[in-house]
Amino acid sequence: MIISGDVLAIERANIDTDQIIPARHLTRLDDTGMGEHCFAGLSGGAALLASRPNARILVTGENFGCGSSREHAAWALVQRGFRAVIAPSFARIFEENAYNNGLVPITLPQDVVDVLARADQMDINVSAETLRVAESATITYTLDPLRKAFILGGGYLPFLASKIDAIRAWQAAR
Amino acid sequence: MPPRSLFAKLWDAHVVEELPGGNALVFMDLVVAHEITTPPGALAIEKQFGDKLFDPRRIVAMIDHVAPAKDGATALQAQTVRTWAKRHGIAFHDIGDNGICHVIVPERGYVTPGMTVCCGDSHTCTLGAFGTFSLGIGSTAQGGAMLAGCLVLRRPKVMRVHVTGQLGNGATAKDLALTVIATIGFRGGTGHVLEYTGEAIDALTMEQRMTLCNMAIEAGATTGLVAADATTADYLARTPLTPTGWIAERADPGARYDAEVTIDAARIRPMVSWGTNPGECAAVDGFVPHDAAAESLAYMDLRPGQALAELAMDQAFIGSCTNARISDLRAAAEVFRGRRVAIPTIVTPGSQAVRRQAEREGLHDIFQDAGALWTHSSCGPCLGMSMGVLAPGMRCISSSNRNFPGRMGDGGRVHLAAPAVVAASAILGRIAAPAELTREAVLA
Repeated sequence: MIISGDVLAIERANIDTDQIIPARHLTRLDDTGMGEHCFAGLSGGAALLASRPNARILVTGENFGCGSSREHAAWALVQRGFRAVIAPSFARIFEENAYNNGLVPITLPQDVVDVLARADQMDINVSAETLRVAESATITYTLDPLRKAFILGGGYLPFLASKIDAIRAWQAAR
Repeated sequence: MPPRSLFAKLWDAHVVEELPGGNALVFMDLVVAHEITTPPGALAIEKQFGDKLFDPRRIVAMIDHVAPAKDGATALQAQTVRTWAKRHGIAFHDIGDNGICHVIVPERGYVTPGMTVCCGDSHTCTLGAFGTFSLGIGSTAQGGAMLAGCLVLRRPKVMRVHVTGQLGNGATAKDLALTVIATIGFRGGTGHVLEYTGEAIDALTMEQRMTLCNMAIEAGATTGLVAADATTADYLARTPLTPTGWIAERADPGARYDAEVTIDAARIRPMVSWGTNPGECAAVDGFVPHDAAAESLAYMDLRPGQALAELAMDQAFIGSCTNARISDLRAAAEVFRGRRVAIPTIVTPGSQAVRRQAEREGLHDIFQDAGALWTHSSCGPCLGMSMGVLAPGMRCISSSNRNFPGRMGDGGRVHLAAPAVVAASAILGRIAAPAELTREAVLA
């Protein structure tokens, strides 16, 4: 799986899920209609998005997605066109939500992220866990092998559904 | 087997299967379901898996975030959860009998020590106060737990937070929670469970332990955890469901932790946040630090060295899953009694049961005599959804848990504090500790 496209850099730490999508937009029954509210709570968010209208890769600061568990944050990013987020660290729930929605969360050291933030475009090979910026050397990263399989394969819920019998057996023997 | 932490015992007892990448299939004893984050998962199960739930008896649902609905969209969310719960025979707390999930679930006796609990809500860590492994997750993960009874989780590390001495000087569990975040850092708990130990923790009531564990997520932690003891047993025995048959586990002597931090409770004083995350806080009579982050200062319109007590407030809010239980309302009422608020003040109980108890004690009269608005239970303005949302530039002193930019409304500025500090600040119209009112009364 290859993700190629424009990079949007938002070099701020601690962008929380309230900034990615404020609670006033959490009023839908399903996961649709979130893209237009992406970064609605981020100061200057609309201008940043407008500066890179076709951005598919977000490069940002540490602790991205902290705070509320709202999966709406991952939905908003995906529906706005993002396929990968690169940051020095992610909040746990956001990272889980990203994997469950095909949004690839890539963790790299701050100094590498600083360099990537200056990139215009990027090619990300999810299967090989590598990425490249223009003529640069290939950068490697590590994804969670199981959750990577959720992205490349059938997804989170089908995986759990396949485990129901085993879980019932475990429960019966508990 | 080597000596184990309390968390390790809870984890080991619930692992159904080890999975690649340090992940495991972890059994969930209880799924808590509210109207904002439940519908997407419930609808996915309905569409893709024939509406089959693993075990509806292991789910408890309620309307809590916007109660009652404020518009057609939130009414549809509530109605969706309502009809879904009825269809599956799920225990359900509708408006009138409801409360914030992290308040009502323990108050009714749905949790017991040793359980695992998940909910599509980050503050589910609150229930770690009962010696449970309780955590917030996304809607898909909640759907998975409703479909298959399990979460896929990467095993977290365990940080022991050892709190010596006793809280004094007017400091509360909220001030301890803020101190923990300031000590380990706003993201210092990421990838960890915070296992609280020490004499100060032993001395806390269940409501105080809930306040402490509630804010574990604000340090990035997966959850907070306090071992069950006689205090826990006494609390559960007074709940409507009076659960029995649980076993109180504790960490083994000599258990190894991935990280350890020690905090002296006696040194903690009433705190207030000045910045845009809960770790950016100081003593109520303190100052904005000189090394404060420029972005935080700009958003909060503050300058380094500024005295926090000179900050004028536009609104006060006592509520949320952090500090809206009966003991919180009593603490606030003590301060409000016989005084008048100087700014718009909203008091929102954590559940309808808390509301009724407060009214039996006459607290509602104290609040209203003081000029505060006494409401029914809801998450309310804590997350900027309803019942007191801020306008740009408004400054609110709040007993809630998040001071993120825009959290309580676009451009709104939130200062977090304990209920008594919020009450004192409401009366003086600026950040103030309750002790200041006592001094004023003496001088008068």
